Amino acid sequence: MDHGYLENVAQENGLVNVSPYVKLAVGLGAILLSLVSPNWITPLFLTLTLGGAILLLARIDPGLYARLLLAPLSFAVFSVTAVILVTGGGEVFWAWQPVPGVALSVTSRSVLQGMLVFSRMLGGMSALFFIALTTPLTELFMVMRQCRFPTTLLNLAMMVYRSIFILADQVDQVMSAQRMRLGYSSPREAVQSFGMLCGAAFIASWEAGEDLLRAMDARCYAGRFAMLSESQPVEAGPLAAATAYLLVGSGLLLATLPGALSWGGV
Amino acid sequence: MHIMEGFLPLEWCIAWWVLALPFLGWGFFRLRRVLDADREALPLLGVTGAFIFILSSLKLPSVTGSSSHPTGTGLSSICFGPGITSVVCLVVLLFQSLFLAHGGLSVLGANIISMGVVGPMAGYLVYRALRDSRVNVYMTVFLVCAVADICTYVTTSLELALAYPAAVGGVATSLGVFLGIFAVTQVPLAIVEGIVLALVFKYIIQLKPEILFRLRIFPERAITEARGGA
Repeated sequence: MDHGYLENVAQENGLVNVSPYVKLAVGLGAILLSLVSPNWITPLFLTLTLGGAILLLARIDPGLYARLLLAPLSFAVFSVTAVILVTGGGEVFWAWQPVPGVALSVTSRSVLQGMLVFSRMLGGMSALFFIALTTPLTELFMVMRQCRFPTTLLNLAMMVYRSIFILADQVDQVMSAQRMRLGYSSPREAVQSFGMLCGAAFIASWEAGEDLLRAMDARCYAGRFAMLSESQPVEAGPLAAATAYLLVGSGLLLATLPGALSWGGV
Repeated sequence: MHIMEGFLPLEWCIAWWVLALPFLGWGFFRLRRVLDADREALPLLGVTGAFIFILSSLKLPSVTGSSSHPTGTGLSSICFGPGITSVVCLVVLLFQSLFLAHGGLSVLGANIISMGVVGPMAGYLVYRALRDSRVNVYMTVFLVCAVADICTYVTTSLELALAYPAAVGGVATSLGVFLGIFAVTQVPLAIVEGIVLALVFKYIIQLKPEILFRLRIFPERAITEARGGA
């Protein structure tokens, strides 16, 4: 069953055979470049190129990717508006003092600051989407184990991962049944139905945990989950492409540093 | 309320990560102690983490028309305490970033502080204050979850205000603006999540009270009373 999780897409993407280390290096490197960029040029470059890689190399459905890009829009609009209103400097376009001591304004530098924050969010989210859409969590678990993350944390994460899909199926079934019986037809009904749904999910998850414990006992669980230690090897081609990409991004960042203000920085 | 990837400047991402690490260390210590004492705890913690993830992926019925998701951290802090909740939140927030594109990796430290540390701790304090009082189970759960959500929202606003202080009035003005802008979605969310989780407890008490007896989160007397009145 499709729950709309990016993990389902990541399992079948076009870059699934590329080493997770290479994909993580590209994603994390792009997040870092986006964060240290003093202007919107580099984040915009990262947004466009990573979007291209997601659509053309990973072959992700463009409609899904467009919906993903729209998802953080409400947070972005609210937050960037606040940043523009509170930060100042430069030519004042609009100002308002709602109460003494509090001044809200739109200025030339605050607009640039807002554009910078928005572009960093776009660049960062594109990098996050790149990781989420191309690297299945099972590969990330492998990387985390090879990087010697605490076993307790890994075991907990794997247990959560395994349980999510079981629970999601049950929640889908209960919610469909509730919708068919007009369980969400009014706000009062909706809150009642939602509470019932969550209560049923909690009880189901508890019972799933007890079943799991019995199953683990039957398989001689001794504090460590077995995991196949095979992962895609790092190949020269993808490694060279990733290195070249990050170098180009870094070069662009450095090239736009001296004229940061004239290039739209703050 | 998650801060999105790329929103916080690098120095604040690092600062919140550094601040989150001691809490995560304390959480790991508590988790190891619980697992050493009771090996059955791991699968139950795992499915509870999955439950919180599923809860956070569902859209709450919203009175303002906005899209809001419950956090579930109040529930976790009642069941396991704030220390273990911070570790569970680390896992859930990581999955939310990679499964749902909620939050992000560089801002994970800031989100852990707001959703995994401050919110659950505030909720836990309310829980400890009301647990043995005459306040009934449902009102206690409502207040714990609502307070945890409100504190998460205030902390997130503070994190945003510290990163982007106002030109006039500094952090205080900026905090007021962020609090005001997000109040539209976050205050109704806190109230609705409190009601929903009180209803969750109602169903657990009616259908499977032995879960609550096993977790020992409320006195048996309080559960029996709630069951009789349910």
